[in-house]
Amino acid sequence: MESLSSLLHLMPETFWMIVKVLIVFVGTLTLAALLTWAERRGSAMIQDRIGPNRALLFGRWRLLGLPQLAADGIKFFLKEDLVPAEASRTLFWLAPVLAFVPAVMGFAVIPFGRSFAQGGHHYHLSLLDPGNGMGMLYPLAVGAVAVYGILTASWSSNNKWAILGGMRSAAQMVSYETAMGLAVVAVFMRTGGYDPQQIIAAQGVWNVLPQFPGFLVFFTCMFAETNRLPFDFAEGESEIVAGFHTEYGSMKFALLQLSEYLHLVTAAALIVTLYFGGWRIPGLAEPPVLLSVAAFAVKLLFFCWVFIWVRWTVPRFRFDQLMFLGWKVMLPLGLANLLLQAWLMHGGA
Amino acid sequence: MAVLVKKVELNWLDRTYVWPVLVGMAITMKHFLRQITTRSSRRFTIPYPDRKRATAEGYRGLHELKRFEDGSIKCVACFMCAEACPARCITIEAEEYGDINKTQGFEEKRPSVFRIDMLRCIYCAMCEEACPKDAIWLRTDYEQASYDRLSMKFGKWDLMNTYADQDGKPRITGDPTPTVPRPPVEG
Repeated sequence: MESLSSLLHLMPETFWMIVKVLIVFVGTLTLAALLTWAERRGSAMIQDRIGPNRALLFGRWRLLGLPQLAADGIKFFLKEDLVPAEASRTLFWLAPVLAFVPAVMGFAVIPFGRSFAQGGHHYHLSLLDPGNGMGMLYPLAVGAVAVYGILTASWSSNNKWAILGGMRSAAQMVSYETAMGLAVVAVFMRTGGYDPQQIIAAQGVWNVLPQFPGFLVFFTCMFAETNRLPFDFAEGESEIVAGFHTEYGSMKFALLQLSEYLHLVTAAALIVTLYFGGWRIPGLAEPPVLLSVAAFAVKLLFFCWVFIWVRWTVPRFRFDQLMFLGWKVMLPLGLANLLLQAWLMHGGA
Repeated sequence: MAVLVKKVELNWLDRTYVWPVLVGMAITMKHFLRQITTRSSRRFTIPYPDRKRATAEGYRGLHELKRFEDGSIKCVACFMCAEACPARCITIEAEEYGDINKTQGFEEKRPSVFRIDMLRCIYCAMCEEACPKDAIWLRTDYEQASYDRLSMKFGKWDLMNTYADQDGKPRITGDPTPTVPRPPVEG
């Protein structure tokens, strides 16, 4: 590490930061791209289909349909970039960025491996070092900002369906954020802090066991938060065409789509960090660094797959059912979990 | 008329919604695992242009005009198929070829033009049923497409060669017995 950074005439801290940024950004973006493939192939397998397998790499290699990603990317870049005549141009251009940036930002505090010391330096495997004062509040805050991207996209399109999608998405986000907050507060309470490193360190027993109701609430709210089925009311193909991105095409559409998958990755990372012990391996107090990264990756991938799996199992809710679930089931359940945890902390008597 | 909607009573386990979702996820995972472990040749989907489905017996595909071993057409230009055709897509023009047919001994009439408009044809195989000489039949080929209407009009030689490659027969482009114009009738 030291020699490499001196070779590049960089401070070790700067070098390490660059390495981490590369790992996180390239990693999450690649994962998001791969998830679109996993979504299409996986859904095909679930529905006894085959999925995209026609795009060939150099006209020869099929590679399980992976070249489809490149083909789609090229297509999106080369497509005509249409802006509807009555749309608000500035906002219409800004919306995909507004959706994309918070989606990438969310991953910054998630530790994806065990911290280690080498040559008198402490290296933390998360973009922001622990003790930054934001902790897990940061991804939640950034995640909440993400709905502005959807709202901006829907408002600026000047399209009935888009507006409906945006409104539904906003209402859904408001209803589920409260319940999610309550679930997360219970975790913070039991940990005694909201730094991700602290939360992970406190999970000798993964949080999912002592806080199962909280996990259930958080897990459900993550589906609402990422706008994925069974809660994808921002889109809702059967009712409002494509919802908030009805008017979007070419690379702007691809950005919106990519940010959805980035949200998915971040949501999975949050679930893993809060409830499944982050990089921890049961039975191993201090796993080797690479092993801890692998453990985190396995958990992350599993939950990404669960998101896809659930999408192709559960049909979309009706909107009133969504509201009912949010306010009358998830909120009381979150509160009950909070009270239960408080009671347990008090001594259980 | 009022429709009676049956309300299903759910038990408490189904009311939780969590358990039914888990059951559903087990079902989808079962399908996923089964599909992903099945060889692509045994899946429900046939990757069409790469692999073609075997047509069933009695399938009515593209027509073939049959020929004798020496390559002469079996058709005697009796117009039965053209009459039977509900789509009126068969056009025949008959010709006589010589006073005595040396090749078969008894036939003296054959089509000089035998045209089927494949865009009109409904593949009902009425021509096959009507044919007294079993000279036309509908076989397995179902891929007829072209860029223009003209190439969908199959002529006599097209129809005689439709399955030539498939059966390993030589392609023929002419009758073994040339058309001999009859001498003009005197008087």
